[in-house]
Amino acid sequence: MARLIETKDVYKIYAEGLESEVRALDGVSVNIDEGEFVAIVGQSGSGKSTLMNILGCLDVPTRGDYLLRGTDVKELSDKRLSRIRNKEIGFIFQQYNLVKTLTVQENVELPLIYQNIRYDQRFDMVKDALEKMGIADKYKHYPSQLSGGQQQRVAIARAIATKPEIIMADEPTGALDSKTGNDILAFLKEFNQEGTTVILITHDNSIAAQANRRIRIADGKIIEDTGVKQ
Amino acid sequence: MNILQSFKMAWRSIAGKRGRSILTILSIFIGIAAVMTIVSVMEGMKDYTRQQYSQMGSNKITVSIYSWMWDENGNSTGKDYFPDLYNYCNSISEYVLGVSPQGYVNATVSYGTKTTANAQYEYDEQTGRVKSAPPRSFYASDQYLIVNSYELAKGRNLTLLDIEDYHQVCVIGPEAANYFFERMNPIGKKLLFNGNEFEVVGLLSPKGDGTEFNQNDNVILLPYTTRRVLGGEAPTEFQVQARDSESLPIAMSLIGGFLKGLVDNRTGGYNVYSESNWQQYENQYLTMISLVLGGIAAISLVVGGIGIMNIMLVTVTERTKEIGIRRAIGAQKSSIISQFLIEAGMLCGMGGLVGIFFGTIGSLVLGNLLYHITIWPLPWVTAAALGLSIFLGLIFGSYPAWKAANLQPVEALRAE
Repeated sequence: MARLIETKDVYKIYAEGLESEVRALDGVSVNIDEGEFVAIVGQSGSGKSTLMNILGCLDVPTRGDYLLRGTDVKELSDKRLSRIRNKEIGFIFQQYNLVKTLTVQENVELPLIYQNIRYDQRFDMVKDALEKMGIADKYKHYPSQLSGGQQQRVAIARAIATKPEIIMADEPTGALDSKTGNDILAFLKEFNQEGTTVILITHDNSIAAQANRRIRIADGKIIEDTGVKQ
Repeated sequence: MNILQSFKMAWRSIAGKRGRSILTILSIFIGIAAVMTIVSVMEGMKDYTRQQYSQMGSNKITVSIYSWMWDENGNSTGKDYFPDLYNYCNSISEYVLGVSPQGYVNATVSYGTKTTANAQYEYDEQTGRVKSAPPRSFYASDQYLIVNSYELAKGRNLTLLDIEDYHQVCVIGPEAANYFFERMNPIGKKLLFNGNEFEVVGLLSPKGDGTEFNQNDNVILLPYTTRRVLGGEAPTEFQVQARDSESLPIAMSLIGGFLKGLVDNRTGGYNVYSESNWQQYENQYLTMISLVLGGIAAISLVVGGIGIMNIMLVTVTERTKEIGIRRAIGAQKSSIISQFLIEAGMLCGMGGLVGIFFGTIGSLVLGNLLYHITIWPLPWVTAAALGLSIFLGLIFGSYPAWKAANLQPVEALRAE
């Protein structure tokens, strides 16, 4: 399997040099290959979300290198990083993060709009994604008219509409009941089986156990890496 | 992201916050309406004065030569400068088409029972404007017709010989002819000027002047030298017709130079001026007024613009989360900037459209109220008003848009 993600001694330090200095990431080195299903586990404040933000190109490390498919992310312009987030990474958040003023259809359409995809083509891609998530009938609804589970399905539809290579899910089941949460996990497993690399951030060991590989993080350091289960 | 999508998005968010959008539009439209009304009315006025002056006759130079010497009866003892001026003007015919005195003949004119002595001014009862007036008589040279843009319909013009030899003849305008002779042929008829017989030798074509009683057609022209019979002082006002607008300033300075050598400044003086100059002065004056008023209105535009900036900043703060989401799923900074700029531009553009509507009403109402003319805003004024309002939106929207685009995606996502 080809190397997808490689971090070398990545630090994320806030207020560096001051008394209030916080080391959200304290020398993290991790490699993730194409097609893996990795869970990053840790208590709140352990630095796991910071790690996801850096892996997802939403944030840049204070020190250390992050190579995405061999390219040093530090060297990339904001424009390139935006494009990577747009095309190669699909984000799923705990709080769904749908735009409240847009309908389901428009929310899922948004990343495709930023890709300048033509309307008719866009329409089909949105429809596919919504159908896959089983909520195609809700396309005219606004997020506030949907249940939490449905909103998360819309958010996932938005993440997969662009057919990204990596899905990053930050506590995707955190705000859902266990049954709905299991459905969501089932989707993630399905995407992984289809070849998508899935990185799941969670504080819940039982959820993490469903991944092929667990990376435990505490105080900004990796304290356990199970490696890929055979 | 393509432009059409950006407009659609901007429209969605404007329509989504209707109340706020209307207030924003209000803050910009007042300024736009004010600026537009002012500029339109001023442009309308300029146009109006231009028309007025062109009716008076363009490329005309007025020369006045006056004397400071009086005899014991209080009559001016100024000499008659006209022959000199006439000869000089005809010597610079490459710049000058003609010259004539402009002097009113103070005489009672009669034909049979018709006389100007008992001719009454008639007024329109409704508007109070003059409907008809007694014919007026003027001292003229043989070039009076050229200078005042008259044409001859019948008979002949006054000639140089008529002037030199004091011939008691006259040329009559159609209204005046109608007054004295009704439908009879005026040529050969004899009018009495203070009892002196003057033979009508020519009839003018109707000229019309836009006034209700065709003042310009209600005239009688006499050789100016006949003042020897009818009395009166030497003419002091002269009209010179320049060949064209380029010749006008040259003719003015040539005539000014000639008069400097001719008129003794110990006993009198002279003045050479042109209505075209007046028009220029008046235009400058109107431009100045419109600049001052426009400046005041522009202040209200700036205030409106600051309001736009304020509202856009609030919008950015409110939508921090949305901006974070958009950035996370791949919006570039430029997409965020264009989203907010287009939103501000659209808002102000809508304010501009409302402003144009009220500005049009404003110029129509003001034009009617102040000058009794209908002033439609010029196309360029309308286009400029719309352009200005969109420009304001872009200017005052740029800081909020910049702020939005430079939010840290991670922090923006954390906002609630």
